[in-house]
Amino acid sequence: MPESTTPTVRLTIDGITVKVPKGTLVIEAARRIGVMIPHFCYHPKLKPDANCRMCLVEIEKMPKLQTACSTPVDEGMSVRTATTVVNDAHRSVLEFILANHPLDCPVCDQGGKCDLQDFSHQYTATSRFVETKRIFQKEYFSPLIETQMNRCVQCLRCVRYCDEVMDVKALAPVGRGTMTEIKHFGPHPLNCEFCGGCVQICPVGAITSRLSMYEYRPWMLKRADTICGYCGDGCQMTVQTKDQELIEVNSAHGAGRNNGDLCARGFFGFHAASHPDRLTHPLIRRNGALVQTTWEEALEYVANRVSELKDMHGGQGFGGLISGRCTNEELYVFQKFMRGAIGTNNIDSSARYGHVNSLHAMRLVQGTHRWTVTFDDVLDADVLVLVGTNITETNPITGLKVKEAVKKRRATLITIESLEPVIDTMSNIANLSHHHFRIPPSEMQNGILGLLKAVIEENLILPDISQRYPAYVKAVTTALRAFSWQDLHRATGIEPDSFIQAAKVLAAGRRVIVLTGQVLLRSERGYAGSLTLLDLLMLTGKLDQPGCGFAPLAEENNDQGAVEMGAIAEFLPGACFADNAADRERFMHLWKRDLPLTVGASLVDMLHRAQAGSLKAMFIVGENPVASLPAQIRAEDSLRKLDLLVCQELFLTETAALAHVVLPAASSMEKNGTFTNTEGHVQAVRPSIEPIGESRPDWEVFAALSILLGMPMEYAESKDILKEIRGAISGYTSLGPTPLPPKVDRTAMDRYLSQGYQPDLTTRYRLIAPQSRPDGTLQMGFGQSLFHSGKLSTRSKGLLQLEGNGRLRINPVDAARFALMDGDRVRLCSTSGEMTTEIKIMERVPQGTAWFPDHFGQAAVGLFECAIDPITHVPSFRTATVSMMKVA
Amino acid sequence: MPRHELILLKNMSEPGYTGSLVDYEKTGGYQALRKTLGKIAPADVTAMVRKSGLRGRGGAGFPTGVKWGFLPKDYQGPRYLCCNADESEPGTFKDRQLMERDPHQVLEGIVLSCYAIGAETAFIYIRGEMVLGSKILEHAIAEARAAGYIGKNILGTGLHADVWVHRGAGAYICGEETALLESLEGKRGLPRTKPPFPATHGLYNKPTVVNNVETLANLPHIMSRGPEWFAAIGSPPKSTGTRVFCVSGHVKRPGNYEVPMGVTVRELVYEHAGGMRSDKPIKAFIPGGASAPFLTPAHLDVKLDFESVAAAGSMLGSGGVTVMEEGTSMVWAALRLMEFFYHESCGKCSPCREGSAWLVQTMRRILAKRGRMEDLETLLDLCKNIAGRTICAFGDAEVAPIQSTLKYWRQEYVDLVNEAEAANLIRLEPAGRP
Repeated sequence: MPESTTPTVRLTIDGITVKVPKGTLVIEAARRIGVMIPHFCYHPKLKPDANCRMCLVEIEKMPKLQTACSTPVDEGMSVRTATTVVNDAHRSVLEFILANHPLDCPVCDQGGKCDLQDFSHQYTATSRFVETKRIFQKEYFSPLIETQMNRCVQCLRCVRYCDEVMDVKALAPVGRGTMTEIKHFGPHPLNCEFCGGCVQICPVGAITSRLSMYEYRPWMLKRADTICGYCGDGCQMTVQTKDQELIEVNSAHGAGRNNGDLCARGFFGFHAASHPDRLTHPLIRRNGALVQTTWEEALEYVANRVSELKDMHGGQGFGGLISGRCTNEELYVFQKFMRGAIGTNNIDSSARYGHVNSLHAMRLVQGTHRWTVTFDDVLDADVLVLVGTNITETNPITGLKVKEAVKKRRATLITIESLEPVIDTMSNIANLSHHHFRIPPSEMQNGILGLLKAVIEENLILPDISQRYPAYVKAVTTALRAFSWQDLHRATGIEPDSFIQAAKVLAAGRRVIVLTGQVLLRSERGYAGSLTLLDLLMLTGKLDQPGCGFAPLAEENNDQGAVEMGAIAEFLPGACFADNAADRERFMHLWKRDLPLTVGASLVDMLHRAQAGSLKAMFIVGENPVASLPAQIRAEDSLRKLDLLVCQELFLTETAALAHVVLPAASSMEKNGTFTNTEGHVQAVRPSIEPIGESRPDWEVFAALSILLGMPMEYAESKDILKEIRGAISGYTSLGPTPLPPKVDRTAMDRYLSQGYQPDLTTRYRLIAPQSRPDGTLQMGFGQSLFHSGKLSTRSKGLLQLEGNGRLRINPVDAARFALMDGDRVRLCSTSGEMTTEIKIMERVPQGTAWFPDHFGQAAVGLFECAIDPITHVPSFRTATVSMMKVA
Repeated sequence: MPRHELILLKNMSEPGYTGSLVDYEKTGGYQALRKTLGKIAPADVTAMVRKSGLRGRGGAGFPTGVKWGFLPKDYQGPRYLCCNADESEPGTFKDRQLMERDPHQVLEGIVLSCYAIGAETAFIYIRGEMVLGSKILEHAIAEARAAGYIGKNILGTGLHADVWVHRGAGAYICGEETALLESLEGKRGLPRTKPPFPATHGLYNKPTVVNNVETLANLPHIMSRGPEWFAAIGSPPKSTGTRVFCVSGHVKRPGNYEVPMGVTVRELVYEHAGGMRSDKPIKAFIPGGASAPFLTPAHLDVKLDFESVAAAGSMLGSGGVTVMEEGTSMVWAALRLMEFFYHESCGKCSPCREGSAWLVQTMRRILAKRGRMEDLETLLDLCKNIAGRTICAFGDAEVAPIQSTLKYWRQEYVDLVNEAEAANLIRLEPAGRP
């Protein structure tokens, strides 16, 4: 918000005059002028609690010492922080805090970065305490978080963080007085979100990470600020290493788009890179088996085979698939290699699994392929709409922004999610929702249509839109009147009035943001749903307003970058359509190469062509279609038919095991580059360890191959590539702290409203009939767990301790119906296949539905059928009706 | 024995008075409500209470009318009244009797207060152990609701005031008004940082008044007999009305005695409580509950009103007068109270949490004849470092017994230490730098 409108006050601190906004706390005002007031319980993210009493200061005209952390500044206030009285007070409070402290600094992991140590040193604190120290029994707390309650200073930062920021409430003070200790609820080890926030925020060594227990002193560690490689939130994190060993990850307060907050994946999931199964040498297939070889031999073999196959079949015989986990530089070089050196548009990336649905919708309606808002706008929003995000588990840090907007800034939250609003061990966004619509994953569209119908029926359409685009409004109105409120009620079980109330709130909002995620985007109606959400914003007149916008959440860390780099059949870099002559011309000129004209095949198309025999060779970088796609696609069979399959991988995956050549790739912990997060912010990735074994960044492989093929792309380092990207497309010019989002393109919007809306309008406005399920069956979905991301995280020892195998989440009522207990084994059968798994009872899963984490999904993919969106070519296979049977 | 007119204890002193609605109405009960509701403007009720000079009977003695005046005038939305019945101060037992023996007197006061401050909901936060009191109150509320004194549309005036009884769960700190509000909200009962004060941000962040049981019980009498009448009782102008003193300790007849403010402890003990139980002279007394510093026989003629007791170095507090006879060990007495404060320190702020544990251990050591002379200075220094540096007044209260006994009976401490040194028990050395 504009700061100029906030009134300021002037006060003096230790004789220095300072001007700060009204409402600033004394401790913050002092920090501005470099006066550090000692404190334990205060933290800028938390509401002041003033319990440690360490920050006492003298304030003129106040009889007693005041806590600087809870006193707001006042005009003309005079604060003294270093008088004898204040120093004595600080020393005496420190003496109290140290009284029961065990002083086990030599074995404490916090030693060297401990506030209590630092202040004791600063105040040369001595103690007159000669009594018996209070001792808490050591208790096992959890697999990843260690508590040592004797060290606790009872500042309650952990408890408050867990409640105020995370909305989890897993921790609580137990006991009274000196016997107060921090515990969790229930007679079992801690089972929370494991965001690591309590570890990060603890000022002493009371809560520490077991992953790095007793392993280091802070000054032994080398630090690298980089970006997390799991989800699209793009959190900045500091990776700390000792030699080649990954020791710890944290994130400083104020750092990055995440403001220092991390989730379980970021905080505890860093060991994937150092898993012992990492590929360290190139492998080549000899006599049917993969054997170790040298880079020279492997690359020469690949180059020779490529030349041969290209001569025989041309560029169209090739295909390329790359993971959205690669850096922008790698994605760019990859597609440049495929288009320029090989001569094909047969390129795809993991963005195809769902993210592309939203980007095509945005391109069509608003002319941009990026958010028109930022995380800061989410914080400032007054109405937030979440549609099929499952945000706590998929994009937890964006989830924190939503929580802050709702809890601290009083935004109104509308949710269309497959969640029951219940309190359990993880935060549940439905609990914060003011208007919650519980809709099964396959029917998300019905919820959106409910809101739209309410907008039409209650006449909440912006008059301007009705006047200027009557045909559009009429078409939408007609489509929405094709079904009645009764039909909608029958389909969703939700009263019309609920939709009307929510729609009224939405229409009255001034800063409205719609967030959507995997549950919608990876469903059969992913594209249609995105378009209808954009229609919703359009009709209510929000779409082009500042602070309003449509914000799809990317699943993988660089899905957005993959599209923007052109690592996708239909787009050149900058998301220019590959068939646009002017853009092709531009890139031909830039790359000094001819570019292929033939329309590229997307993911599933490529596999079909391989099956049919028209696609002969594939480069697969970090993707694992064999384990990810439903059996119906026959990915394995298709890949086996190829004459050449080159895989660049961290691990020997199911797909890599089929390859003719496997090249070891460096993980994001080992290379330079940039990632583009879900809001379109480009951030620097920096190496924290040397590449494991002989592994190399993927771009080096393509640069080397291009030289061998006689069409050199010469880059000395990844910076050179970034330089070329910057010249080629906008949005990559600076790595500044605050991204400026693009604005809605009015001409594109105009085009959409005049005629662009017409194709398949009636199809997308059709209600989805609720699936009639025979008794004894469930609607099973494929979903993302908070503790994993893709399949990469299943190599992380920390996360495996939290979730080591895939378990089917079902509602307790369904469990009772099938006479199942937590951990029981069941056999699931669908029309396509069957699998056996354990169940996990979760109250938040709505009755009649169930979901299975896709990270462990090799067995589960057999259950699903696949539908391909005719426009965006997104394969959707996330839901199936299954029957369930208990097995021994 | 000088006869003072009873006000609060009058009904229950009548033989056969049961505290039922019928009995209460017979004595003129709920007439003040009929006289006031809809007939005197709420602001005028507040002005009358302010004029009467009524001050809070819970301990702090804040003028009731002034407290009500702090509520925001133009606030739209609910306001709350909380009746603080979490009477847990050692040596204090007046509220319990007022609630158990004459509940309607309290309820009438609550409804009057609700009317004055514009609250439609009142909560009685009663100490968890007072099961009987809570049952009696709930029964009385049902009676009053049926008779139209409580609930919707009271006496046909269109005004509402509902009253709910909430039992605490056994923490002394929940008698502190902000901890009471936290507990009432269902949270851990820990004091809140002030400001903001409950008057603006109280229960559920709404404007709230927290009044003591005895304070509220005075309201019907002020409304029916006028503020001038009330202001003339006791020691005007600052301490008006009567006080129900809870006399306990080494006296012949411990109990609740209602007397005008300003009588002396001597009169209370010798003329009301029947003198000392073994006719030994008084050695020490606490004038206002465990939180008030000890006083000596030299203070027996101090008038028991807010100003005089404060001037003597103690406080009138909750009105719990505990009397100790000659021969009582003052170190033991101080430790006994310190043990209580150690047990009840909520643990929210460091000085009180750590300090109470430290003080109690040192005191135990001194009493066990393992003390050192420097411990006495440490005790005083720790007391100084706790008082005034905590969120709530608990920190000030817990140091009172040690500070006052060290002030008046230091020799008893010295004797114990000397005995320890003579016995040459284990020497303790300070830990030095941590």
